Amino acid sequence: MKDKNAKRYGMVIDLDKCTGCGSCMVGCYSENNVPFKADETNKLDSINWIRVYKITNNKTYPNTEVCYLPMPCMQCDGAHEGHSPCVSVCPAVATDYDYDTGIVSQIYTRCFGCRYCMAACPYHARKFNWWDPVWPADMEKYLSPNVSPRMRGVVEKCSFCFHRYQLARDKAYLEKREELEENEYQTACAEACPTGAITFGDLNNKHHAVYKLKNSPRAFRLLERLNTNPKVYYLTSKSWVRKAGDNYLAHEEPTKIKNNIKEHH
Amino acid sequence: MSTDQNQTVSTEAATDPVNHEPETNDSPPSKSSGWAVFLFFMIGFVGSILSGWILFPELLYSKKDQPIDFNHAVHLDVVSDDCESCHYFRDDGSFAGMPDLSSCIDCHEEAQTDDPEEIKFVDEYVTPDIEVPWLNHSKQPDCVFFSHSAHVIGADMSCESCHGDIGTSEHTRVYEENRLTGYSRDIWGYSISRLGKPEAGEPKPMKMNDCAKCHKEETGHKGACFQCHK
Amino acid sequence: MKIDRRSFLTYTTALVLGGAAGSMLTPAPWKLTDDVSIWTQNWPWTPVPEDGEVTYKQSVCTLCPGGCGINVRLIDGRPVKIKGLEDHPVNKGSLCPMGISGLQYLYGPSRVTSPLKREGKRGEGKWKKVSWEEALGAVTKKLAELRASGRPQSVACITGSDQGTTPNLIGRFLTAYGSPNYIRSATAQDAIEQAIYLTQGKQGTPVFDIENADFVLSFGSGILDGWGSAGRMFNLYGSQKPAKKIIQVEPRLSDTAAKANQWLGINPGTEGALALGLAHVIIKESLYDRNFVENFAFGFDDWTDDNGKTHDGFAKMVKNFAPDKVSKITGIDKAEIVSLARAFARASKPIAINGRGHGAIPGSIDESLAVQSLNALVGNINKPGGISAIPDSNYAKWPEVNIDEIASKGMQQPRIDGAGSEQFPNTRFLLNRLPEIINSAKGESPVQALLVTDANPMYTLPDTAATKKAFDRIPFIVSFSPYMDETASHADYILPNHSYLERLQDVPTAAGISRQVISLAKPVVKPTYETKHVGDSFILIAKALGGFIENAFPWEDYEAFLKETLKDQWRKLKKKGIIEIKYDLPEPLAFTFNTVSTKFEFYPTARGSVKQKQNSALPTYTPVPIEGDVQRFKLVLIPYDSIRLAGGAIANAPFMTKTVDDTVLKKQVGLLEINPATAKGLGLKEGATALLTTPKGETTVKVHLYEGIKPGIIAMPRGLGHTAYSEFLADKGINVNTLTGPIEDPGSGLDMAWGIRAKLIRI
Repeated sequence: MKDKNAKRYGMVIDLDKCTGCGSCMVGCYSENNVPFKADETNKLDSINWIRVYKITNNKTYPNTEVCYLPMPCMQCDGAHEGHSPCVSVCPAVATDYDYDTGIVSQIYTRCFGCRYCMAACPYHARKFNWWDPVWPADMEKYLSPNVSPRMRGVVEKCSFCFHRYQLARDKAYLEKREELEENEYQTACAEACPTGAITFGDLNNKHHAVYKLKNSPRAFRLLERLNTNPKVYYLTSKSWVRKAGDNYLAHEEPTKIKNNIKEHH
Repeated sequence: MSTDQNQTVSTEAATDPVNHEPETNDSPPSKSSGWAVFLFFMIGFVGSILSGWILFPELLYSKKDQPIDFNHAVHLDVVSDDCESCHYFRDDGSFAGMPDLSSCIDCHEEAQTDDPEEIKFVDEYVTPDIEVPWLNHSKQPDCVFFSHSAHVIGADMSCESCHGDIGTSEHTRVYEENRLTGYSRDIWGYSISRLGKPEAGEPKPMKMNDCAKCHKEETGHKGACFQCHK
Repeated sequence: MKIDRRSFLTYTTALVLGGAAGSMLTPAPWKLTDDVSIWTQNWPWTPVPEDGEVTYKQSVCTLCPGGCGINVRLIDGRPVKIKGLEDHPVNKGSLCPMGISGLQYLYGPSRVTSPLKREGKRGEGKWKKVSWEEALGAVTKKLAELRASGRPQSVACITGSDQGTTPNLIGRFLTAYGSPNYIRSATAQDAIEQAIYLTQGKQGTPVFDIENADFVLSFGSGILDGWGSAGRMFNLYGSQKPAKKIIQVEPRLSDTAAKANQWLGINPGTEGALALGLAHVIIKESLYDRNFVENFAFGFDDWTDDNGKTHDGFAKMVKNFAPDKVSKITGIDKAEIVSLARAFARASKPIAINGRGHGAIPGSIDESLAVQSLNALVGNINKPGGISAIPDSNYAKWPEVNIDEIASKGMQQPRIDGAGSEQFPNTRFLLNRLPEIINSAKGESPVQALLVTDANPMYTLPDTAATKKAFDRIPFIVSFSPYMDETASHADYILPNHSYLERLQDVPTAAGISRQVISLAKPVVKPTYETKHVGDSFILIAKALGGFIENAFPWEDYEAFLKETLKDQWRKLKKKGIIEIKYDLPEPLAFTFNTVSTKFEFYPTARGSVKQKQNSALPTYTPVPIEGDVQRFKLVLIPYDSIRLAGGAIANAPFMTKTVDDTVLKKQVGLLEINPATAKGLGLKEGATALLTTPKGETTVKVHLYEGIKPGIIAMPRGLGHTAYSEFLADKGINVNTLTGPIEDPGSGLDMAWGIRAKLIRI
């Protein structure tokens, strides 16, 4: 079923460029009808499809360094493509792996809220709707029809703005094109990032910027040793940041990226 | 019902001062006739089959008329002989769906005939500039993303292959809305049993299984969730 | 067949069983199961957004003075998303989180949806909806009364800007009415503008050509925390060449410091001393731009005035700022100072900038002068990659205002805030002095009616208690805010302006960029509520007041006024959304200055009259005497700015507050940043609750242990602790202004406070 034109959409986030401004989070909220409530300080029940974490090198003043780490859904391939941790545990087939794009879906109307996927996800990428969302005082008017608002009792997560892929494909069909241009399908966070720290594209396509960036000597992935094979790559020039990407012991050196997914050209 | 329960009921009846009826109590226990039991069973059986097949579909769907009795045939004849002149694709590849007033106003600024439906259309919608609240037989729920361009342009499918021969209709159909789900009956399909194939010219059912079935036949795979969901 | 009870039950059972069996052969149970499950997926209270045609509208964000271009996506005319406008000269597609949250300023529970009249006590929150006629009528009546009693000068207006047609229209109104008391909120830009005026003789908007600089020395400017046009600064950072260096000097590891090539933790408030220390090294090691200093600068060497008196030059003065001494003052290592001075002077296009955080507080004039002197030492004035000033856009030319006798008398009165007086001749607005002046006035308040637009002084002014006391003494307060902010909630009438996406407005060049552009903010959607453009409100009040005031406004409405202002440029601006006004930046090295000496003045002679008490007008460093007894208050509290928190006139959108970390805000309690070493001494652990006291007030906080803050310093963000707005913002954390107070710069009158002494006790 996987055809030769299959894409593997992925993201490369340059942590050297990320200033922690939070534009990606806000861009995502407004793109994906992410709800908000009066108190969002309990980050366990705060719904974010991408969250910017602040990490430090744990050194004392004045040798302290700070790095911001934006974390969307890693769209894991798993040990074999399609074996994302969350997909394998979902008893409702509410989340699946799209072999055409490499994107892990989440279907809210299918989800019955068991939250196995949240337990399985090592990246805290999935969030649960403990309450029905409320958009007060006419705020419903700004909701986008491209992403369904969720209801209480379901899990949601980053979709790599799949609806933008769909809309871009619509245009391509109209223009009788098979392929999308790189700039035709970009996620809202990549678009919102004011310093251009987020690059998005097809990891299989050598004409896309991510193709080259992911092989940068600065590149690493989070929890590399779990074999989740994330499609989100990070770039850093700081060794302590790279080391913070997994639970390395003091004497361990960060693992090299092990990409076991065959690339198509 | 078990004998135990029967006995219990009798005992209760016997001790119940209000329901105490000595005549009944004195008479020998009647024997239910096997034939009669079977008869009642069959009455229930046939009755529920009849109501399940005939009454249930009637009750499940409310019926509404379209705001205007639209004549597709005349428009195909007079305006253009394809659907896309009114149900067009926008430049970004999205499908405009039901035309809005701006598409109609070129011809219907004023009524062109003495057709009462056209006069009603002009008086109630065009003149006060109110969009017609058409009832969309094919409207999918919010969780569904359906790409007309993928099907009509990408897969070169005709409109009729899903929507039937609505284009040649002279009157609008009654819109039947499921009282529970709020969906149009067309989504489930006109055959309440969902058995057999729709008659030629009838719109195809449009539930997820119907999409998946066709996708499986045409592409070899049902497709991933995100292909149709949002 | 006899029907008795028993057989009745048997037959009924048979009937039911038959029915049940039969129904299995019908679609009913299966269809109902399916339908019920679908029914549970479509709760009527889950919104289903309408689909439609996608269009885009381009405009300019006016949530802050940054002037970034925005591109608004609409579906069927309904705005659904805001992103940066790719080809806008200011931000080139980049936008800050506030700009992206823009639609939450269009709708939401904080909007004032119609004119309101206060019903209960001030700030009680009891309002009566009134018609526009009634609201405008009430304001007109009050203003007419004050004029009739010969006190037009007792009307003051506080605004957020003095650039563009709307502020000019309000200024014109006040002139015709007879009040000199047009007061704009001050920012660091005021101090920098004044320093540029004093050294270069130029009145205008400062330009920091960071685009073309290769070494940026920032004295606490949060260039990646929202300083200047945030969109522009982010875009610059993202697209800069790797060779470009950013050095951040501030006591706290801010986002800017985190991304800088080097962070120097400095004792707060000693930035001016460091600038002079760097100058010392640069001069001592002859690293300065000899050509510029010798040919185009005045006051570098000792000089003799017309009376034969010899004055110390800048070079001699900075001898007092040897690295040893400066190291003691600033807490920065001596070797660091020397190497920074060398690196700065040796860079090909170095630039030094100041204005702490977002630049909310002006800071001392001496500090701005010291930073400007540093730029002059490396000759980076009026050059690409350097500092200059572009003249204020002067497209607003209208017929002279003819004023009547009452207005004329009123206009001759001194400004209430003291700006432009003999004491502060070079300062234009001094909002920070207003509360103290009102509070110390004997008898009635010098301000009898206050009009507030585009500003929220009740929240943004330091020393909230004093501000509230002053405002309570003003008998009549009118707010034009589209939002129920702190000032609006203390007003007597609210005449709500359209929100920024609903109104027309010209947006002149923002501070910093080296091009003079005028952008047009166009309504992307029709007004949602019963609001009115503030320009229209003023025109209607003017017309209702009649006489000379009415005659000063021959325009039908604001749009007509704007159109006439821009004359032949209007059509182009309306079509393109942006026009660029060419101005002549002096050719490189053709330095001409409008100062007395026609040179860049290290010794700002225009400051002479101000500095009479001291011997020299040269910039110097004197520690800012921050409030509080050192023995009683052992710590120093500094406010800090973050890009995720808006500390100014426009408050956070719910989306922005949602991004705030739980190390900054936890439930309704704000967290105070403290160095772990300091915390240990106080017996405080992460998340511990403590009582924070300053000379201005006290509050309960939780502490967040952060290695990125200098020991002895505690920091709290601006932008929290709102008391108005809605549940999405109100009562979250503490407004740091309730704990701080202004400190008047003796030279400019501007607020130069950078912190306050504080005490922290575990509870």
